[in-house]
Amino acid sequence: MYQLAKVDKKFPGVHALKAVDFQIGRGEIVGLVGENGAGKSTLMKVLYGAYQPDGGQITLDGRSVRFANPRAAMEQGIGMVFQEQSLIANLTVMENIFLGYEQQFVRFGVINWKAMAAAASAQLAKVKLTIDPATVTSALSFAQRQLVELAKVLTLEERVPGNLVILLDEPTSVLAEDEVNLLFKLVRELTSRASFIFVSHRMDEVMELSDRIYVMKDGAVVDVVTRGEKSVEQIQHKMVGRNVDKEYYREHRQQPFDASKEVVKLESVSLPGRINDISLTLHRGEVLCLVGTEGSGREAILRTIYGMRTPLAGKVTIKGQQITQFTPRNAVAQGVGYVPRERKVEGIVAGMNVYENMTLSQMGRHSSAGVLRIAGERALARDWISKLSIKASSELADCGNLSGGNQQKVVLAKWRSGGSDIMLLDHPTRGLDIGAKEDVYDMIRDMSEAGVGIVLVADTLEEAIGLSHSIIVIKDGAIQKRFDCTPGAKPSLFDLLHYMI
Amino acid sequence: MTGRFTREDAIRWAPLMVLIALVILFTAINPNFFALRNFARIAVAAAPALMVAVGVTFIILMGSIDLSMEGALSFTAVLFCYAFVKFGGTLAAGGWVAIPLILLVGAAVGMLNGLIHVKLRIPSFMASLAMGFVATGATVLLTGGGIVKIDDDVFRGLLTHRLLGFPLMVYVAGFCLLVAAFIQTRTTLGRNFYAVGGGEELAHASGLNVKRVRVAGFTLAGVFYAVAAILQVAKLGQAESVTGANFMFISITSVVVGGVALWGGVGGVWNALVGVLIVNVINNGMVVIGLPDYVQDGMLGLLVIIAVVLSTDRRAVTVVK
Amino acid sequence: MDLQRLKPHLPWITLLVLVAAVGIVDDTFLRPANLLSLAGDIVPLFIMALGLTFAIYIGGIDLSAQSMANLITVVASVYLAQFGGWVALLCILVGFGFGSISGYVTTKLMVPSFISTLAVGGVAFSLAQYLSGQKALNMEAAQRDAVFGWMIGKTGPIPHELFIAVALLALTLFIERRTTLGRALKAVGAGEPAAAASGLNVARYKILAFAISGALAAIAGLLFSVKLSGGAPTIANGFLLPAIVAVLVGGTPLTGGVGGVLNTAIGTLIVAVIRASMLYFDIQATQQQMVFGVVLIGAIALTIDRAKLRTVK
Repeated sequence: MYQLAKVDKKFPGVHALKAVDFQIGRGEIVGLVGENGAGKSTLMKVLYGAYQPDGGQITLDGRSVRFANPRAAMEQGIGMVFQEQSLIANLTVMENIFLGYEQQFVRFGVINWKAMAAAASAQLAKVKLTIDPATVTSALSFAQRQLVELAKVLTLEERVPGNLVILLDEPTSVLAEDEVNLLFKLVRELTSRASFIFVSHRMDEVMELSDRIYVMKDGAVVDVVTRGEKSVEQIQHKMVGRNVDKEYYREHRQQPFDASKEVVKLESVSLPGRINDISLTLHRGEVLCLVGTEGSGREAILRTIYGMRTPLAGKVTIKGQQITQFTPRNAVAQGVGYVPRERKVEGIVAGMNVYENMTLSQMGRHSSAGVLRIAGERALARDWISKLSIKASSELADCGNLSGGNQQKVVLAKWRSGGSDIMLLDHPTRGLDIGAKEDVYDMIRDMSEAGVGIVLVADTLEEAIGLSHSIIVIKDGAIQKRFDCTPGAKPSLFDLLHYMI
Repeated sequence: MTGRFTREDAIRWAPLMVLIALVILFTAINPNFFALRNFARIAVAAAPALMVAVGVTFIILMGSIDLSMEGALSFTAVLFCYAFVKFGGTLAAGGWVAIPLILLVGAAVGMLNGLIHVKLRIPSFMASLAMGFVATGATVLLTGGGIVKIDDDVFRGLLTHRLLGFPLMVYVAGFCLLVAAFIQTRTTLGRNFYAVGGGEELAHASGLNVKRVRVAGFTLAGVFYAVAAILQVAKLGQAESVTGANFMFISITSVVVGGVALWGGVGGVWNALVGVLIVNVINNGMVVIGLPDYVQDGMLGLLVIIAVVLSTDRRAVTVVK
Repeated sequence: MDLQRLKPHLPWITLLVLVAAVGIVDDTFLRPANLLSLAGDIVPLFIMALGLTFAIYIGGIDLSAQSMANLITVVASVYLAQFGGWVALLCILVGFGFGSISGYVTTKLMVPSFISTLAVGGVAFSLAQYLSGQKALNMEAAQRDAVFGWMIGKTGPIPHELFIAVALLALTLFIERRTTLGRALKAVGAGEPAAAASGLNVARYKILAFAISGALAAIAGLLFSVKLSGGAPTIANGFLLPAIVAVLVGGTPLTGGVGGVLNTAIGTLIVAVIRASMLYFDIQATQQQMVFGVVLIGAIALTIDRAKLRTVK
C-alpha cells in the first residue's frame, strides 16, 4: 500500500539514496538494516516526510503523494516513533499524546480535561499501558515513554481514514529484554491496525520481528529477505560485503609497537550510564581501536581519558601518573590530544584563523608573561600547513571556511605541533571524501611510527580492522573481546560483529 | 513514586516553606508583624507587583524573559491617567472606559514586544530591555517629565475602601490571579506555554506554532502589566515616567524565588504568588524589625542568585552565557 | 558586494554618513573644537562600553555596569579624603571584585549572565546607598583638583579625558590582540565547546572577562565622579543603554566572538553623534532613550549571528 519507486536523494557531495525501491503491505512488519551511513536514516526521513526525494515516485494505495513535512505525512497516516525520546518531559501523558491537536477537547476556549483523559486512556489501552493519563511524563520509565510515543502515533487511527504505517526507529535500544518482548508482542497484535517499519542495529531482533527485511548498503537496497530465508551471517555479509583494500588503509605501513612502554592504562573504570569495569592498556606507537555500536560506550571511554568525564570508580593512569583531577587541561598537559567527532563544534573554532586554532591548546608555549609571540605562531602554522599540505590560502584563513578534510588536518596539527604523544581520535574520517580520508590514514601511520599511542573510534569496521594494532569490542558498556590485528592475521568483520550485536 | 521525597518535590514546596518560616521568624522578632493591619500593608504593596509577576511568569514558563515591564508599566499608567481624565475624570462620568482601553494598550505593547523578539529573532532579554527603554522614553515624551493625577474618590476606593480589613485592590489582584490560573490550567494557550518551555523543538515537531504561542505570551503579559499599572495608579493616585521603576527586579526575583525555573516549563502563577509574598514579607519584615530599606536591592540580588542556583539541574545545562 | 562582505565595514561607514549628515544640517558641528569637546564628554560612557565589550565578546552581557559606576562615584567621593590618590586603586579593585563575583556566579553557579549581573548590580546599588547615606555627596574641590585634576584638564584644545580614553583603548586592544587572555576570550566567544575541548580553562577566562568589565565600569565611574566632583547612588543612571548600544552598533554582536574594542570605539562615536544631533533637534536626554532603544533593536537584528542560536528564546 505504501510504495517508493526508484527514489533518489542527493546531498552536496553525497548520493544518499540511489534508486531505492521499497514497499510495505497492509499489516506487514518490514525490517530495515544497514551499516552506519548506508542510507537507512535518509530513507526513513523520506518515508515520514522529513526529506523530499529528488527523483522517483511515492505512492500510497496507488495514489501518487508528496509530503511537504512530517505533519503532512501524518495526515496521510504515516507516523514516526522517534529513537530519541520526543515527549516533552514536563507535560502530562495526555497532553503529550494530543499536543497540537488539543482543539477537539476545547469548548468555549476551555480544555475539557476529563474528555482528554478519557480519550488518552483509550489510546493507552491500545498499547496496553495502564497509567493515569494525567501523570507527568518525566515520572515514567523509558519503556513506558516508548509506549506513550506509540500511543501518540496511534491517535492517527481516529484522524486518518485509510491504514497506518508506523516507523519504529531503534525502539529497543534503551529497553531491557522483557520490555523488548512485550513491545514485540504488542507490535504483532497491532498489525491488525497498522503496518510497521522497524529499524534496529540488533540483527537478531530484526530477524525475529520482521516479515521481510530490506538490506541497505551505500545508499542502495542490496537485498530483500523474506522471513527465514537467510541466516544472520548471510545478511551481515550483504550489509558489509565489499573487498577490503589493504593498500587503502596503509596496512603495509603498520609496524609492531613496543609492548613494554605503557602510556595509558585504565583499570576497572566505571562511568555513569551503565559503563562498567573497563580495563585497557595503550602502548607507545599502538593504534588501539574501540569497536561497538552507537551508544555502546566507546566515546565515553575516549572522553574519560581526555578528562571530560570523571569515572565513578577505577583507576586511570597516563604515562605512569594516576589521574585524580579529570579535566581536559590536565590531560593536555600530560600530552593527550583529542580529535572530536563534532569537528565544527568541538574541533575547530570557526571565526578564528589557522594559526589561532593551531596554538589554542598550547598558548603557554607561544607566549611570555601572557603576551603572545604572534610571529612564532604564524611560522609554526606555515610549517604545518606545508607539512600536512593543508589547503588554506594562508595561515590567516578563517578555519570555518576550510573544507572538512583541511579542518581535520588543522585539528591534528594543533595537537601534533604541541607535541601530544597520546592521540584520541573520534571518527576522524567522518564526512570526509576519499582523498581526505587517505590523508588521515597516512597521518595515523606517521604518528604511530613516531611513537604516538592512538585510541581510535573508527567510522566503519573495515577502517577499524585496517588501521589498528589491537581492537577492543564493547557492547552495552562492557568489554566483550580483545583482538590482535597483526597484518595477515586480522580478525574478519564477522568476528567483530559476532561480539558487537 | 510515592513516599519518596524527590528533588522535584523539594523544589515545589521549598518556596512555601520559606514563606512560612519567614512569617514565623519576623513574628518572633517583632510580634507586631503578625497583625491584620500589617498583612493589609503587605498585600497592598504586593498587589501591583503580583500582576507584573504573573505576566512575566507566562513568559518565563516559555523559557524566555521579559525586561520591559518598567517601561510598559509607566507607559500604560500614564496613558491610563490621561484617558481617565479625558473621559470624565471620575469612574461614573465615563472614566471607566479607560480601563478596557488601557488593557488593550497593554496587549498592544506586549504584542509589539513579542513580535520584535520573534520576527527579528532577537533574544528576548535584549529585545524586551530595548523595548522597555523605548516605552520609558515614550512616557517622558507624553508627560514632558510631569505628573498626571487622578482625583476620583470612587476609583481611589480601590485603595481606601476595605473589605474584611483588606483594600479592594487586593481582591482585584486576587481575581486576576484566578483568571491567570484559569488560563494556565484550562486553556490551550496556557498549556502550550508549558510545551514550548519544556521542549521547543519537540513542540514544533508536533505541529505547534511556537512563534504564535510566544507572541501570544508576550501579549498576555502586556495585559497583566496594564492591570498592574491600573492598581499602581489606584494606590498612588498619580502616574509619571518612573511609576514602573523597580518593578523589573522585584517581579523577576519574585517569580524565580517562587520556584518558576528560568529555563522554562516548570512552575506557574501560584509560584509567582508565593514568590511575591516572600519578597514583600521580607521587605516589610525588615522595616518592622528596624533594618534600613536600602538593604532591599542587595538582598533581592542574593535571593535571585540562590533561587536560580537551587532550581538549576546542573547536569542538564552545558553552556551558560 | 554582498551584505556579508559589507558587514564588518558597516560601523565606520555608518559613522561617516552620520557625521556628514549632521555636518550638513548643523554647520557648527564639524568645527574641531566642537568635535573635541563632544569626544571628551563621551569618555566615561566609552570606558564603560569598553568593559561591556569584554562581557559581550564572550557571548554574555553585563547589566551591572551602571550600578557599578554609581557605586564607584560614591566610593570615590567617600574615600577620597581618606586615601587620596589611592582611592583610584580601591575603585578599580572594587569593580574588579564585583565583576569577578558576576563571573563566578555565571560560570560556576550556572546563572545566566543577564540575571547574575542584574543581581550583583542590585547588591552594588544597596552598598552605594549604604555608603552614601542615601544622599548626593561632594568631593572637596581642592583635594579633587590636587589628586585628579589632571584627568579633566585641557592641553591646548584637547580634553585630557581623551588621553585616558586612548590609553585605555590601547591597553584593551593590546589585551585583545596580543595576549593569551584575549585569544582565549575570542575562542570562548566564537566556539566555547571547542575552546573547552582544547584544554582551556574556560571558566577562569569568562570570570576574567566579567572582572575586566567591572574594573572598566569602575574607571568610568571614577572619571564621572571626578568630572562632577561628587557621587550619588543613581548619578550614572542612563549610562547602561547607550553603552550597550555603543558596543552593538560598533559591530560586536550579542553572540560574541567577533568585533572587539576598536569596534566599540567606533560605536561610541556613533552614539556621540546621535546624541549631538538629538541635542540639535532639542530632544531631551530621557526621550533619547526611545531613540537608543530603537537603534539597539536595529543593531542587534543586524549583527547577531543566528547560526549560533539554535532556538531564540
